[in-house]
Amino acid sequence: MTSSTIAITRPAHAPSMTLLAWGGLALAGGLLLPWFRTGRDLASFVAGTTGIELLGSEPAVAAALVCALLSAILGMLKLPLYRRGQLALVTAAAGCTLVVLALVGHGQPMGPAPVVVFLGFLSLVGVGLSLSGYLRADAFIAASIVWVAVFVVLFILYPLWAVLQASVVVKGRLTLEVFGTVFQSPNFLMINNPYTPRDEIRIAVTFGAVVAAVSGLVAAVLARKLRPVVVWAAGSGIAGLLISALYLGFGAVRNSVLLALVVGVASTGLGFLFALLAERSQLPTRRLLGPISILPIITPPFVLGLAMVYLFGRQGFVTHSVLGMSTTVFSGLLGLSIAQILAYTPIAFLLLQGVVRAMDVALEEASETLGASNWYTLRTVIWPLARPGIANAFLLTVIESLADFGNPVVIGGGKPYLATEVFYAIIGRYNPNEAAVFGVVLLSMTLTIFLIQRYWVGERFYVTVTGRPTHATPRKLPRALDYAVTGVFLVWVLLIVLLYGSIFVGSVTKLWGFDYTFTLAHVKGLSPSGWYVFRTTASLSLIAALPSTALGFLIGYLVTRYSFPGRRALEFSSMLSFAVPGTVMGIGYILAFNQGTLLLTGTELIIIMAFVFRNMPVAIRSGVAAIHQIDRSLEECSTMLRAGSLTTLRRVVAPLVQAALLSGLVFAFVRAMTAVSQVIFLVTPRVNLSTALILSYVEHGSMGRAAALSSVLVVFMAVVIMIMYSVTTRIDARAGRGAQAKP
Amino acid sequence: MAVPATQLKQVLHQAASPVRFERVTKRFGTVMAVDDVTLKVPAGNLVTLLGPSGCGKTTALRMIAGLEWPTEGRVYIGDEDVTPLPAANRSVTMVFQAYALFPHLTVFENIAYGLRVMRRPHEEIRHRVGEAMSLVGLPGLERRAPAQLSGGQQQRVALARALVMQPKVLLFDEPLSNLDAKLRKRVRADIRMLQQDLGITSIYVTHDQSEALAISDIVVVMNQGRIEQIGTPTDLYRRPASRFVADFIGEANLLPAVVEDGTVRVGSYRFPYRQPGVATGAATLMVRPESVQVGVGGEGLPGRVQTAFFMGTYADYLIETEAGEVSVADPRSVDGIYPMGTEVRLLFSPTALYLLPPGA
Ligand SMILES: Nc1ncnc2c1ncn2[C@@H]1O[C@H](COP(=O)(O)OP(=O)(O)O)[C@@H](O)[C@H]1O
Ligand SMILES: [Mg+2]
Repeated sequence: MTSSTIAITRPAHAPSMTLLAWGGLALAGGLLLPWFRTGRDLASFVAGTTGIELLGSEPAVAAALVCALLSAILGMLKLPLYRRGQLALVTAAAGCTLVVLALVGHGQPMGPAPVVVFLGFLSLVGVGLSLSGYLRADAFIAASIVWVAVFVVLFILYPLWAVLQASVVVKGRLTLEVFGTVFQSPNFLMINNPYTPRDEIRIAVTFGAVVAAVSGLVAAVLARKLRPVVVWAAGSGIAGLLISALYLGFGAVRNSVLLALVVGVASTGLGFLFALLAERSQLPTRRLLGPISILPIITPPFVLGLAMVYLFGRQGFVTHSVLGMSTTVFSGLLGLSIAQILAYTPIAFLLLQGVVRAMDVALEEASETLGASNWYTLRTVIWPLARPGIANAFLLTVIESLADFGNPVVIGGGKPYLATEVFYAIIGRYNPNEAAVFGVVLLSMTLTIFLIQRYWVGERFYVTVTGRPTHATPRKLPRALDYAVTGVFLVWVLLIVLLYGSIFVGSVTKLWGFDYTFTLAHVKGLSPSGWYVFRTTASLSLIAALPSTALGFLIGYLVTRYSFPGRRALEFSSMLSFAVPGTVMGIGYILAFNQGTLLLTGTELIIIMAFVFRNMPVAIRSGVAAIHQIDRSLEECSTMLRAGSLTTLRRVVAPLVQAALLSGLVFAFVRAMTAVSQVIFLVTPRVNLSTALILSYVEHGSMGRAAALSSVLVVFMAVVIMIMYSVTTRIDARAGRGAQAKP
Repeated sequence: MAVPATQLKQVLHQAASPVRFERVTKRFGTVMAVDDVTLKVPAGNLVTLLGPSGCGKTTALRMIAGLEWPTEGRVYIGDEDVTPLPAANRSVTMVFQAYALFPHLTVFENIAYGLRVMRRPHEEIRHRVGEAMSLVGLPGLERRAPAQLSGGQQQRVALARALVMQPKVLLFDEPLSNLDAKLRKRVRADIRMLQQDLGITSIYVTHDQSEALAISDIVVVMNQGRIEQIGTPTDLYRRPASRFVADFIGEANLLPAVVEDGTVRVGSYRFPYRQPGVATGAATLMVRPESVQVGVGGEGLPGRVQTAFFMGTYADYLIETEAGEVSVADPRSVDGIYPMGTEVRLLFSPTALYLLPPGA
C-alpha cells in the first residue's frame, strides 16, 4: 500500500487533462451556443447563429473552432510537456485572434458562444505559458494572470481609451475642435467676466503682487538672505494670484478646483485634529470616533447634501423655520463644501491616525533631547514626520472632492462642476464629445494628483508609518488643547446628528419646510417601484460583490507572490479606479459598450461590471494587506507537499484571510449599494438603482420620498456592517485563541 | 525515540536518492546568490551547507526544493534532471526555518496535509500519519493546534509532515534557529539519530559551525555564493583549504612560515615538519590554539604573554611573537598560569599543524 506511492515518476507523455478540458469546453461552447444576439437582451437566443450552423458561412468561426479542437488533441499527443505547451500557446493565441476577427467582422452584439470560446482560449494560453516554462507558475496561476489582464484591459483601460478617443475624434476625424470649444466656453473657465464691471484679472494680479511683497518683506526680516526672499515672494505671489483669480472667476474648473482646495484643507485639518483626539485624548468622547468614521461608508455620497438642503436650504429647518430667513447662500459652493467636508473628514481621519501614532514617538524622542524649544521641535521633528501623511490625506480628499457627483447635483446651486458637466453634457446636451473633453480634463487632474500621491508621497508615507511599534501609553494632549479639539469634534458630531436626523425625520414629515406633521405617506409611496428598485440594487450589488472581492484578492495575491512580465502595469491599471472619477468611468462605459459587438448598455451585466471594477481596488488593497500577514513559507510548504496553487489558495491562504475576505465582500457590497457617479449613466427605467432613483426623486421635488429611500439605505447598510463586524470579531477571536495558547 | 515504525523506515530507506548540482548559478538581478556550484550529495548522507549569512545557502537549498530556479546549470535528483520540474513534482520535502506549520490545522491535519492533497484513502492517511508521529516521538498530540505546542514539538511536527511524504531528499533550513541553546543540542542529536536510522538523504543549512561539525557526514563550506571546501568535519578542521575555512571552522592562528627541506620555520623557530605536496618557500601555517604548548626557556617560538585568563579546564593566552599574535588554549597550565608580561616559548605539536596551500 505505502510503497506504491514512492515512485511517482509520472510518464512524460501522460495526457494533459487541462488542455483536453479547456479545448473541449471551447469547442462544445462554440458549437452549441449562439454566437450573436439581435438586441440588447442577453438571454435572447437567435436561431441560426450556433457554431454548428455558422461553420459553413463564417470562416473565422470555423477556424477558431478548429483551433479549439487542435488544443484538445494536443492534450493527448505524445509530446514532451514543454513542446505541448508551446503548441498550445500558438493555437490558443491564434484562436483568440480568430474569435476577435469573427466578432469584429460581423459587428453584431456577441452571444454567449464567443465569451465561452474566448475565455477557453485564454485559459489555454495560460496553460501553454505554464507548460512551456515561459512563465514559472502552474497552469492555474498562469491562466489567472491572463484572465485578469484581459478583464482589466477590457473593463478599465478600454473605457478610458474610449473617453480619450471621443474627446479628439469627431465623426471619424481627428480634431482638437471640441477641446477648443469647451475651453472657450464660460461654462468651463472664465477668469475675466465681461458682464461684471470689475476687471478680475487686474484685481488678481494686484492681489498676487501685494501678497508677494508682504511675504517677501517678512522673509527678508526673518532670514536676511536673498534666496528665501525670492523663493517666498515668488511662491506666495503666484499662489495668491491663482487663488484670487479662482475666487473671482467662473466656470466648472474654477468651481471644482476651489471646492477641492477648500475641502482638502478643511478635511485634512479636521481629520488631523480628530486623529489627535482618537490617539491622545483623555476624554471619553473619543470613543465616538470609531462608529462615526464608518458613516461615510454606509451613506450614499449625496445624502449629506440632501440633508444640508433640509436644514439650511431656502425652506431649511434651521434657516427658515428657526431663524426665519429665506436664503440660498447655502445652496452653492458654501453648502456644498460643508457637505463634502462632513463626508470626507472621516476618510482623512482614518488616513491620519497612523501618522499621529508615529508622531507620538517623535514627540517623546524630541522632548527627551535637551533644550529644543517647542517650536523648533515642531518644525524640525514633528512636521517632517507628519508632512507626507498629511499630504497624502490632502491629495486623496482633493481627488474625492473633484470626483464627487452626487453632492454638486443636489446642492451645487445649479452651478457647473467638472464632474456634473460630464453628466449634463451627455444627458442634457446629448454631446458625448463635449462630455469626453470634460472627462479628460477631470481625469488628467485626478490622475496627476494620484501619481503624485502614489509615487512621491505614498512611498514616504508608508516608510514612516509602518514598522513602528504602537506605544502602550501614548503621550496625552495638554488639557486645554484636549477640550478645544473635543469642542470642535462635538460641534461636528452635532451637525452630523442633525443632518442624519433630518433625513430620518424628513422621511416621515408631510412637507418639509411647510407642514411638519407626521406621515407614513413617503414610506408607503416607495411601494411598489421604490422597493423594486431597492431589491434590484441589493441583488446586483450582491452579485457584483463576489467577483469584485475574488478578483481583488486574486490580483493582490498574484502581484505580491509572483513576478511576471507586466506585473507592475497590471497592478497600476487595476488600482487606477482610485484615480478615475466615477463619472469619467461611467461615460467610458457608455462610449465603449453602447454599440457593436460589445453592446452591453441597458443590461444588468454592464452595471455589475461597473460595480466589479469600481470596487476591485479596495479589495486588492485589503487582499495585499491580508496576504502580507501570511508567512510565505506556509505556501511554499504547501507547494512542496504537492499542492497546486489552487489547492494552496483554497486550503491554506483562504482560511487564513477569512475575516479579511468577509469584510472585503461586505464593503464591496456596501460600496456598490451607495455608488452613484459611475452608474448614473448606465441605469434605465428597467434596470434602475436606488441612488439614481433618489436623485430623480430630488429632481422632481419629491424630497420626502428621497429622504425615505435614503433612510432605508442607511439603516439597511448599518445593519449589514454591524452583522459583519460581529462575525469577523468572532472569526478573529477564534484565530486568536489558537495563536494565544502558546506555552 | 518511540516505537519503531518499520514500514515507513523501509520505504524511506529505499527512496533515498543522491542529489547533484551541475555548475549551478543563481543571480537575483545583479546579486550573485550562488556562483557556479558543482556538488554531489551521496544517497543516505547528511550534507550541511555551512557559511556566513547571505552566502547563498538558502538559495542553493531552495533550488533543490524547486522554489527557486537556477539561472544557469542543472540540478539532478537520483538520475533525473529536475531543473524544469516544479516543487510539487520533485519528491523533496523541507523543514522550514520557522517550521511553517499551518496555524488553522491541527497537528494531525498538518501532517496529513500532503496525503490529503494526493487524495489518499482515509485509512491509509490515518495509518501513515500515525507511523510518522511515532517515528518522531509525538504521541497523543493529534488534536492540538500548532500554537499549543512547544518549540521542540513544533519542530517534530514539521519533521513528521516532511517524512510522511516519503521524500527522496529531506531539506532543512536552519531548523534549530528558533530553539533555545539547551534544546538545540538535544534536537540536533535527535535529528542526526533519526536521519542515520532512516538512511534518508538530507541537506541541512546552517551558519553555526559547531552544529555543522556535530551532525554532518559531509560539510560544504560556502562563501559569497561559491564553495570554499567540501569535506568531512575532521577534514575541514584538520586540513582547511583556505584561510576562510580555517577561520570559519573553529579558531585558527595563521602564521607566515617558510618551508624548507623537511623543516618549517616560523620567525626564528625551526622545527621538523613534512606535509606531502607542499613546495619549499613561503607559506601560511595554521596552528589551532589547543595544539600550542606554552613553556619557559628551551626551544620554541619566543613571545611575551599579553593577556592570560584562567578558564577552568584550560588557560587562554594571547601571546605576542615575532610572527604576530598567537592565541593559545593550553590545557596543561591548569595548576598555574603564566602572568602577563612573562617571556615564554611556544611549541607546536606537529600532528595538529597544517600548511595552507599557497594562494589560499
Ligand atoms: N528573492 C530574492 N531576491 C533578491 N535577492 C535575494 C533573494 N533571495 C536571496 N537573495 C540574495 O541572495 C543572497 C544569498 O541569500 P541566501 O541564500 O538567503 O543566503 P543565506 O541563506 O546563506 O543567508 C543574499 O545576498 C540575498 O540578499
Ligand atoms: Mg538562510
